[in-house]
Amino acid sequence: MEKISHEITLFAEPIFHFGNFTVTNALFSSWIVVGIIIILAFVLRIQLKEIPNKLQSIFEIIVDGALSLCDQVTNSRALSMKIFPIAISVFFFILINNWLGILPLGGFGLIEEGEHGLSFIPFLRGGTADMNTTIALAVMAVVGANLFGIFSIGIWKTFNKYVNLKVLGEIFTKIKRDKMVIVTAPVTFFVGLLEIIGEFAKIASLSFRLFGNVFAGEVLLASMAALVAYVIPIPFLFLEILVGVIQALIFSMLLVVYFTISATDHDEHDAEHHEKQLVSV
Amino acid sequence: MESIISTFHIDWKIIITQAINFGVVFVVLYFYALKPLGKLMKERGEKIEMGLSDAKKSNELLQKATLEYDKNTIKLRQISIDAQKELQKDLEQLRAKNLDRIKMDNEQWTKKRIEQMEIDKKALVEGAKNEIVSLVMLATEKLLGAKNDKNFDEKVLQELKDL
Repeated sequence: MEKISHEITLFAEPIFHFGNFTVTNALFSSWIVVGIIIILAFVLRIQLKEIPNKLQSIFEIIVDGALSLCDQVTNSRALSMKIFPIAISVFFFILINNWLGILPLGGFGLIEEGEHGLSFIPFLRGGTADMNTTIALAVMAVVGANLFGIFSIGIWKTFNKYVNLKVLGEIFTKIKRDKMVIVTAPVTFFVGLLEIIGEFAKIASLSFRLFGNVFAGEVLLASMAALVAYVIPIPFLFLEILVGVIQALIFSMLLVVYFTISATDHDEHDAEHHEKQLVSV
Repeated sequence: MESIISTFHIDWKIIITQAINFGVVFVVLYFYALKPLGKLMKERGEKIEMGLSDAKKSNELLQKATLEYDKNTIKLRQISIDAQKELQKDLEQLRAKNLDRIKMDNEQWTKKRIEQMEIDKKALVEGAKNEIVSLVMLATEKLLGAKNDKNFDEKVLQELKDL
């Protein structure tokens, strides 16, 4: 009898195809996550009452706590109310994806003929243990933040964050009063260009951080299970449950930070700071 | 870049699908959970805030009413004490007046009674005297049996009268 191997791969394995569209186990898990969230949302909607039941109480505690956390970052309830729905959605999507990946359901899967003989492909792989998912979330976070910035402070101010034409124009308007502007303006313009690279760095850091942590957790659990099948992996399982929460929280908090930065008018902030300095002088 | 794409099997179709997945999660969570839950929590918060403010107002009113009640009670007690004192004074006066009147009435009645008794006594004495006289006369007549001397009768009568 040929030996069946189970390799832990960096990528999500395909489990079936729709024409030329490949459905991976991570994507399949994400669909299950979407289903779970839809069911939870519908159940919550149906059971919504002024005097809350257990499920509603749990949701209310989470929502209230998350909103307070959001307030600490934004320093404004109005801004928090705008960012909060997307942040909490990201939190739940990542959290359930992380937890679904560590569910001990490794026995369900396909046996396929691979390069090195028969290999086992599990049906479930944490959605966030696939770079495609984390990239999708990171791109949405960064693009969403910039769109939020455009709606909050305007397209011209958002554009000037990256291509600072305003500061280049100041060379001609301020040169008589301040000669140093000829040095500071190009530096500021260059910093703006660096911001564009910074946005790509944000995408990379968000996606690789989440993928790295979740994938490492899955590898750790698989290694522990391979070494000692019973009891020993349990503490690591609890550790991964905690890591799942922490990573979801980190991603959503960073999303709130990016959205808040995008919605902040730096020129106005600088002007206020300058005025305060003048007053203190 | 190529190596990253091949190592992680990055596929733009899966990226878009995952983005759609997240979009569905966001829409469902927002419209079916967060929006109604937020509305409910806000309404409940407002109700609690209103209740607390009402309770605060009621407490203030209660304190005011208690103060006013205490003040009024003290005032009323003072008024009642004053009224009681005045009433007692009036009563004392009335009692004294009544006592005087009763005393006077009593004196008048006693005086009248004494006078009446004096008159009655006199009348009685007079009556008794007449009676005694007639009795004596009868007795004498009986004793004597007859009238021998007219002057004798008159003398006896005069002596009796002088008595």
